[in-house]
Amino acid sequence: MHFYELLVELLLMPILAFVIGLAMVLMMRRIGARIQRRVGPPVLQPIYDIIKLYSKETQISHGLMHEIGIIMAVGGFIAAMTLLPVPGMSGLTDKGGAVTLAYMLMIPSLGMALGVGQCANPNGSIGISRALTAMLAYDIPFILVIFGASYVYGTTNLAEMVAIQQQQDVSSWGIVQMPLLALTALLILPATMGKHPFEIYVAPSEIATGPMVEMSGKFMGGLFVMQCFQLYTAGVIFTTLFLGGGVYWITFLPKIFLVVAIPMSVAYLFPRYRTEDVLRLMWKWPMLLGLIGLAVVMK
Amino acid sequence: MTALDYLLLISAITVVIALLAGNMRVGGWLVTILYALQGAALLMMSGLGYSTLTVVQSSLRFNVLSEQMLWRFDALSWFFALITIGAGLFCSWFASGEWGEKYRDNGGSLRLFHGALALNVFTMLVLLASGDLLTLFIGWELVSWASFLIMALAGGKAFNYAMRYISYAFAGAMAVLGGLLLIYAEVGSFDFQSLKEAAPQMQASTLWLLVVLLTAGFGVKMAILPFHLWQAKAYAETPGPGAAFLGAISSRMGLFAFIVVIVQLIGISRLVEMEIPYTFLDAQDLLAWIAVFTIIIPTYIALRQHDARRLLAWHGVGQTGYMLLGLVIANDLGSAGGLMHVFNYASYQAMLFMAVVAVMHRTGTSDLNKLGGLFTRMPLSYLAMLIGIIGLAGLPPMNGFVSKWLIYRSLIVDGSPLLFIAAVIGTLGTILSVYKLIHNIFLGQLRVEHAAVREAPLSMVIPMMLLAAVVFVTGYFPGLVLDWTSAVQASIGLPVLAHHLGGVDMKGGLDMIWIVSVLLVGFGFGTLVFFLGGRSKRVHQLDNYAGGHFLTAETRYHYSDNFYPGLMHLIGPWYRNSFEWLERGVISAVDILSTAMQGLYRNAHPSYLLLVAVVFALSWVIV
Amino acid sequence: MNELDKIPVRQELSVAEGNVKRSNPLANVFDELVRFCQSRSMFMLHYCTGCGAIELPPAMTSRFDMERLGIQPMVTPRQADILLITGYVSVKTLKRIILTYEQMPSPKYVIGICSCTVNGGMYWQSYATAKVLKEYLPVDIYIAGCMPRPEAVISGLRDLMGDIKSGRADNWKRYFQNYDHYLGNQQKLFGEDWQTPTDIIAEAEHYGLMTDQTLGEHTALLQKHQQPLEALEFSLGEKREKIQGENPREKNNE
Repeated sequence: MHFYELLVELLLMPILAFVIGLAMVLMMRRIGARIQRRVGPPVLQPIYDIIKLYSKETQISHGLMHEIGIIMAVGGFIAAMTLLPVPGMSGLTDKGGAVTLAYMLMIPSLGMALGVGQCANPNGSIGISRALTAMLAYDIPFILVIFGASYVYGTTNLAEMVAIQQQQDVSSWGIVQMPLLALTALLILPATMGKHPFEIYVAPSEIATGPMVEMSGKFMGGLFVMQCFQLYTAGVIFTTLFLGGGVYWITFLPKIFLVVAIPMSVAYLFPRYRTEDVLRLMWKWPMLLGLIGLAVVMK
Repeated sequence: MTALDYLLLISAITVVIALLAGNMRVGGWLVTILYALQGAALLMMSGLGYSTLTVVQSSLRFNVLSEQMLWRFDALSWFFALITIGAGLFCSWFASGEWGEKYRDNGGSLRLFHGALALNVFTMLVLLASGDLLTLFIGWELVSWASFLIMALAGGKAFNYAMRYISYAFAGAMAVLGGLLLIYAEVGSFDFQSLKEAAPQMQASTLWLLVVLLTAGFGVKMAILPFHLWQAKAYAETPGPGAAFLGAISSRMGLFAFIVVIVQLIGISRLVEMEIPYTFLDAQDLLAWIAVFTIIIPTYIALRQHDARRLLAWHGVGQTGYMLLGLVIANDLGSAGGLMHVFNYASYQAMLFMAVVAVMHRTGTSDLNKLGGLFTRMPLSYLAMLIGIIGLAGLPPMNGFVSKWLIYRSLIVDGSPLLFIAAVIGTLGTILSVYKLIHNIFLGQLRVEHAAVREAPLSMVIPMMLLAAVVFVTGYFPGLVLDWTSAVQASIGLPVLAHHLGGVDMKGGLDMIWIVSVLLVGFGFGTLVFFLGGRSKRVHQLDNYAGGHFLTAETRYHYSDNFYPGLMHLIGPWYRNSFEWLERGVISAVDILSTAMQGLYRNAHPSYLLLVAVVFALSWVIV
Repeated sequence: MNELDKIPVRQELSVAEGNVKRSNPLANVFDELVRFCQSRSMFMLHYCTGCGAIELPPAMTSRFDMERLGIQPMVTPRQADILLITGYVSVKTLKRIILTYEQMPSPKYVIGICSCTVNGGMYWQSYATAKVLKEYLPVDIYIAGCMPRPEAVISGLRDLMGDIKSGRADNWKRYFQNYDHYLGNQQKLFGEDWQTPTDIIAEAEHYGLMTDQTLGEHTALLQKHQQPLEALEFSLGEKREKIQGENPREKNNE
């Protein structure tokens, strides 16, 4: 491939991810509103929020690491987006596969955790402690799914996985090849997105939104941007592993929106789980399903 | 004289100089320069690291009982010696400035400290240079005693922990000796080559005994399960940079001996043939599972520590598991990952210990519940620790990621899901624990008593920064280290990993140059996005949300103790200290046995003894 | 009904002075866009001091649904744009309200709901109640009533949206510009050693909002008592600083 083409791809992928992520945030809020029988926010609400936050006239910072933390959170996601294959663009998928992606996605979280730590607010630190515990809970089944998929496709390269699934019709999709692993991934999806009922680390009425407690203005704006990327990433990873990935945008977009919509529709129906219950839940059913699924695909 | 002679000679001189001049102001610097000279002598042999040279002999050799004892360097020795001398250089540099003066003012003997450090380096080089099983054993014993010396320096509690170590080390050495005698009985020689030739013909039962004895013996030094109890406490109590040195490389000597005897001479393929009856496991699986439990259990013990040095030392035990795991898997990816992890781990573990020692130097404590908010006071130490924890946790862009990635990838290629998941569980536990480390020391609220704390002196900061550069550069260009590991793979007869400067060529490979570049550019864009927003003002840490409460400096507004209550609520009851119980049981058994023996020999009646002997003699005559 | 229309519902502090147009037309468009977004996305911190709070849940939930106007409840002052004070303000509560207000990032707006915030309402005779909220904080909108219905709350919020869009809602600047005045009233109520952990004067300096009304006799009194609240700066060398905020007087606030 021509070097300039790759450069354009690398620029385009994060931008597209952000725009799609904005739409996903809107969808999430609309779904929540509909379940609660409300109208919900207007179409451009996520953009209004972000512009408003960035244009605050006084911005409160707690020091250099607070600022670097937010930069790492946004920058890390921008970089990770280039590892996610989308229709027509495979970016750097051949330079680092699924395992690299899984670890790249921890950089933004680490940045946020460091920034929150610098705020010197124990509510934030408690939030981070809970978020890390939740990560321990869902990452074990998640890595199991990654292993299963890499084993079945014989590669960790996400773009190659898409190519393998596109060889035939739906029957070559991951969800048909390894339905149990797909179910595992679906079960942990709301936890990876940090949404209801797994948002114990935010817990507004208990620890004052945890990591966000001291975030104002553009710091909060950075976290809003990060949320867009987060939803997009969850949708694309699942689609790439199990739903045949994307060859055309027209089929790709409905798939990723559907993937994000499913956990969102269920989410608002449940009350929050406590941290230890998140662990118990994640280590029980998704693990069990995942192990059985793995045993099936590995014979 | 060959380059190896120079190296060993300079190393021996270093010991002498350190013992003579250690207490003088220039003594430390002199020793540091001598380490640099050792490094230069090592670089004379750098052909070993790039497969252009296969072996460098030493001119020292003699015959004992028709057995030739010789010392020589191959690629494996060179690789380990590089790390050893590097660790010695940086730790001695760190100790030469203000730290050393304070240590001496507090009544420590700097002469002994530098001497013990230099002796450690020297004995390790002797061990690494061993050319047959006899010299290997001699080197092994020397290393054990040298590390006992440096561990016991601080006296008091440290001495007790060092005693504990030496009793483990004795047991280990006996096991090794037993293994070597068995080899001599089977092969009739202590020569490496003859063992290698004899190994394929050995009987399975003999081989089992041999593998168990040697793995246990070398495993004691590596602190693999179930011999992991001694290490963390002994290392943590070692004075300052000594802990950094021991943590970085000392227990790797066990791994070195393991690689030489088990991987190189007996061969992993031989282990695969040794099946455990009534199971579907073989000896390789057994070792892999030991490695995996060595990852998990110590890592989760580290999670519960509230002393920074103990936490790091326990992680040191855990990281050993990754190296062993990679080498036991023994395909091109795994063994490269395991070997590379030795280098990577040494670089960031030394730096992490140094950062903690710098904090201790300034604040006088390493208790994670008594620190906090030091970022604004010690930003460079913070940077060192940040880079170190990213490496230890195995996240990009640091070098720890590359070696762990190689190990993960080898497990995927190998098709071992359970080992893979277990390795990842260890990594996740590491992330939890290192965040606690950096948060409790450097983030959160600055305590009133630490308001006047300053950054550590340059003599301590520069070694940390240099190591940080090593961690980052070898993460950016892992090919630099992979060149050396490939040479090692070639020399010990493992499949060689095809690599380039940025990483690995394969289906689903890795190119760190691209990954790190795109990450840095991403950070650049993140900065742009950040500065799109309005101008920010930094506020005082007490201008903080507390539900409308007015914060004052007397209010401790910080979260440090019991950092993961939710997790501990669930897994807390799983900590049962079973190994402590086991150790205590063994101690009691030995105690009873020795009391009985003492009773028999000394206090009790020789006539009974005579009677017993006579009865045995008679029964033997009659029957 | 004509009589009712005459009752002023908006505190007319600023007389359209906020809407300063910049000479660059592009910058004007940008300002308009920013103001539009600010008006369409308001994060609100409801400081529920009194009975008016009960009218907020219906305004937020499915019956009236504030979110369709872009108004969301938030948890900490750092995240919020509007401070809703819903009911009587006791002296002790007022201290927290002022701290909360000072911790909010600008532009920030204060809405006084219920009669109690306008003039003390039925607590007029109470010894422990601060009667007129606007003496202590610049209030942007009052929503009078005992209690105002959710429709009234939403109508008030829409008025505020209009003000923000047109650039009239810049009362937050008045707090910086006339800090001496507000601080004086606060000191009258809480005593002369009153202070919060926030540093309004430094903030006004940082953002160029100082006027000759910012400093005065009351701020002089404050600075006499106050430990300077500078952010923790990096120190690499010998610089020794004292940690701030060790002020025994702050304990008197309780």
